[in-house]
Amino acid sequence: MTTHQHDVIIIGGGGAGLRAAIAIAEENPSFSVACVSKVFPMRSHTVTAEGGAAAVIKPHDSLEDHIYDTISGADWLADQDAVERFVNRAPDEMIRLEHWGCPWSRMADGSVAVRPFGGMKIERTWFAADKTGFHMLHSLFQTTLKYGAIARYDEHFATRLLIDDEGRCRGCAAIELRTGTVRAILGKAVIICTGGAGKAFPFTTNGAIKTGDGMAMAYRAGVPLKDMEFIQYHPTGLPGTGILITEASRGEGGILVNKDGYRYLQDYDLGTALDVSDPRHPQKRSMELGPRDRLSQCFVKEMWAGRTISTKDGDAVHLDLRHLGEARIDKRIPFVRELARSYAGIDPVHEPIPVRPVVHYVMGGIDTDANAATNIPGLYAAGECACVSINGANRLGSNSLTELLVFGAEAGAGAARFAMENAEYNLSGLEAQTADERERIRRTYFSSPAKSGGERIAVLRGELHEAMESGAGIYRDADSLNATCTKIAELRERYARVALDDRTNSFNTELTAALELSSLLDVAQTMAHSARERTESRGSHQRLDFPERDDDHFLTHSLACHREGAEAPGIEYRPVTITKWPPGARTYGADSGLKRKPAGT
Amino acid sequence: MSDSKTITLELFRYHPETDSEPRFQSYEVPYDEDWVVLDAINWIKDYVDGSVTHRWSCRMGVCGSCGMMVNGEPKLTCAAFLKSYYPFPVRVEPLVNFPVERDLVVDMDGFMEKLRDVKPYIIRDDVNDTSQGEYRQSPAELAQYKQYSMCINCMLCYSACPVVGHEEEFLGPAALALGHRYNKDSRDRGKSERMEVMLSNEAMWGCTFVGECSVVCPKHVDPAGAIQQAKAMGAQEYFKRFVMPRGAGTKGAGASRGAGA
Amino acid sequence: MSGQYHRSHSRAWFLERPGYIRFMIRELTSFFVAAYLVVLILTLGRAAAGEAALAEWLQALSGTGWMVAHGVALVMAVWHAVTWFKAVPQAMPIFIGEKKLDAPVAAVLMGYGPWLTVTAGVVWWAVR
Ligand SMILES: Cc1cc2nc3c(=O)[nH]c(=O)nc-3n(C[C@H](O)[C@H](O)[C@H](O)COP(=O)(O)OP(=O)(O)OC[C@H]3O[C@@H](n4cnc5c(N)ncnc54)[C@H](O)[C@@H]3O)c2cc1C
Ligand code: SF4
Ligand code: FES
Repeated sequence: MTTHQHDVIIIGGGGAGLRAAIAIAEENPSFSVACVSKVFPMRSHTVTAEGGAAAVIKPHDSLEDHIYDTISGADWLADQDAVERFVNRAPDEMIRLEHWGCPWSRMADGSVAVRPFGGMKIERTWFAADKTGFHMLHSLFQTTLKYGAIARYDEHFATRLLIDDEGRCRGCAAIELRTGTVRAILGKAVIICTGGAGKAFPFTTNGAIKTGDGMAMAYRAGVPLKDMEFIQYHPTGLPGTGILITEASRGEGGILVNKDGYRYLQDYDLGTALDVSDPRHPQKRSMELGPRDRLSQCFVKEMWAGRTISTKDGDAVHLDLRHLGEARIDKRIPFVRELARSYAGIDPVHEPIPVRPVVHYVMGGIDTDANAATNIPGLYAAGECACVSINGANRLGSNSLTELLVFGAEAGAGAARFAMENAEYNLSGLEAQTADERERIRRTYFSSPAKSGGERIAVLRGELHEAMESGAGIYRDADSLNATCTKIAELRERYARVALDDRTNSFNTELTAALELSSLLDVAQTMAHSARERTESRGSHQRLDFPERDDDHFLTHSLACHREGAEAPGIEYRPVTITKWPPGARTYGADSGLKRKPAGT
Repeated sequence: MSDSKTITLELFRYHPETDSEPRFQSYEVPYDEDWVVLDAINWIKDYVDGSVTHRWSCRMGVCGSCGMMVNGEPKLTCAAFLKSYYPFPVRVEPLVNFPVERDLVVDMDGFMEKLRDVKPYIIRDDVNDTSQGEYRQSPAELAQYKQYSMCINCMLCYSACPVVGHEEEFLGPAALALGHRYNKDSRDRGKSERMEVMLSNEAMWGCTFVGECSVVCPKHVDPAGAIQQAKAMGAQEYFKRFVMPRGAGTKGAGASRGAGA
Repeated sequence: MSGQYHRSHSRAWFLERPGYIRFMIRELTSFFVAAYLVVLILTLGRAAAGEAALAEWLQALSGTGWMVAHGVALVMAVWHAVTWFKAVPQAMPIFIGEKKLDAPVAAVLMGYGPWLTVTAGVVWWAVR
């Protein structure tokens, strides 16, 4: 038996996982921390984030404004205690990352620069040109190299959480890719930081690794997945590839126009179109700087009205940056230019970029409280895989990178405390579970008889994509969701016959692809079922058959619960925590600048 | 997929459990001019041969996973378009100068160790409390190291460097450039500590300034330039030690902490 | 893991990439630069030995063989200088505020400029 023991196990080496690891190494120098990641940490998808990370730092900004923007952006589905904690801790975390060497873009006086972002009333998004996530991830990763106490299990694919007899989470089983060995990686507490699940959809900004593994692992172990119906479409992806053109391009002043060259957002209650030469452009919380859910929905309406541009990769609108000029583009958003040039053959200095909405972020995730703890003692979750929830029905751009830091640190602290107080566990039971897992993998993937007649991973995945896009996209209704739920049930049944070409041990990436598909099937199922049960429209969840927000019935988080033996999740609800900001109308454009005082203060 | 044009991919195949020698295997792949080499490899894995093994994730040239030799050139396969090779066959091999794990996957462990060796993090004793706000750094100070912070660890430069190929101990372009990146960061105080590693014989002086690392680097990091600057800095450092053997630079706290654990 | 495959290096590695060939040529040119230095030093030695010795030496150097050698050495030295000037902006970047000087400008400023100035000076001195 290959067993490895540490104090805290972190599954995931992205922004959240690395922040948690450093938190533990700094606060508990005697602790041994394991960081288990299916790719080398610096390959994690945090690396692709472009635009920036929000935190109040400038004197003309206020914590309260950031809180209000986040809550209203979330269409009041965020837990307000969690949002408060998030916003209050954000500046501290961001400064810490600055101290660790993150190359933030700067003002002439040497202070960090901030840029406007969608749905934010004041510019508060820190940025490192337009490679913010890249720089954050590498700064964090390189900082972890300082700590000998952080043991890395690079290219280890976690497949299952290990729970002791008392119901506490004590580690995971993971496949070492190089050898195919299934190891027991044990600790006194576990943090899941495995990122999102955009790969449930065909057209996404998410990389190959964002397959919801951690969500699926937690779900199977008995943690509900919260608010899974809320999927963020980013309004500006390149048609065809889905490569993201960051919101920062609009924060810098880029505009969206339809096929007539008209700034169509003004027709959808998002404010008035100021001329691009007007010094007040771009206006915050208005037009191109409206929230992502709204902008993506406007695109669909324009498409229905026949006012989008047809390209060989589907309909698109134009993101026009030309008026920014070459110098500003090269200084502030050089990566946008690089991406548009190489992947769309378009130089944004001279031509508008065709863009369309693209699946970007999963608001929902592993149900945690504001301490990043789940309902399983000793199990914590942070980052995109978790739902704290601060993002509610629609995440504001640039809140996620900050969330990784705030709740990564929080989870690290919580797990360390738990590990201190619950040091003893029974090794043999956990090793037995690992042996079971090894046997399950062998039986499921290596012993199915013939390749012929078996199901091919890519085919199942393709059908899942089709079902999610057609039934659970920007606009959904009962019929489309029913069809998707039915299709997913069929795919899950067919998955039992999945057949691999590769039945060897070393670096079997066909096996990991199969495991990822099984995660996606679980996660997609919770998305579709949660969406079907929520008969209202809120934020990114838009039901054509229930177009209004329904606070009387749905000011609640949905909880998709795994039921042993049952084919589909059970959907339960828990009220949203409202502290000082009662639900109100979600307005953008002209009247959005009104200062709203929290109730009772 | 456009009509029925195809393109041939010749993939390097090697399986550690069954092969003693590698071989090339050819696959006919539908030709789409929007496709990159990585798309073609993924198509093969998805629909023809699930045992083909390679690394990838972002498909936008920033995660650094997908470096391979494409017709003998180190390339990010997600940034190498089929249309620049069509109609000729495309030969894909794992990055040279690395041991091959399986097929197109190489062993990166050596680099991960070298990266740790150059202490790629801010070293200073007087860490400010966060309540004092950010360290000030002017745009000009940022510009001093920004270029060297753009490295995605894709390893293309290691494949282009003949010194890496011949001297296993050589820290190599990316690691040295990252060491230099921190030396040039106005927030850092760990230069002399870092220089100790970088000055060791195999490390920096092994570089003969062939310069190909900078030619192949997809992110314009210019590791060759960084190394030459580091050499100059190293010569100064030597001199400083010579004239004032004690107290040349400050020792940081971070590294000693790391070493203890 | 013993299963890894290690590729061996060809002894003619320097032929594998055009950049390697250019590198080898650069290294080769330095041989000529060094050889010419030796000639210069010998010339100085002759000059120290007296006017007659120098005249005799210069006479020898003006033979056809030596002229060809001079020509070759000149080409090599120029080539070597050019590779240096190309490298200078990389090894010694000049910043004006946050902007790095473009490589060609820096090469002229730190390489070609001074080089031509000195050469012009020498020529002026010689033909004066
Ligand atoms: C293109 C793009 C641009 C973005 N831009 C912004 C932005 O500008 N601002 C912003 O705030 N947010 C942005 N986001 C969102 C934000 O980047 C992500 O939400 C965030 O980076 C997720 O970080 P994470 O640490 O949770 O997960 P990730 O960085 O995705 O890391 C997940 C980790 O888990 C590991 N893992 C997963 N499964 C397993 C398994 N089975 N076994 C072992 N390890 C596993 C992976 O190896 C990886 O290390 C962007 C997202 C995308 C896709
Ligand atoms: S220096 Fe350039 S080529 Fe080398 S690893 Fe970094 S990004 Fe890749
Ligand atoms: S797949 Fe990420 S760099 Fe190519």
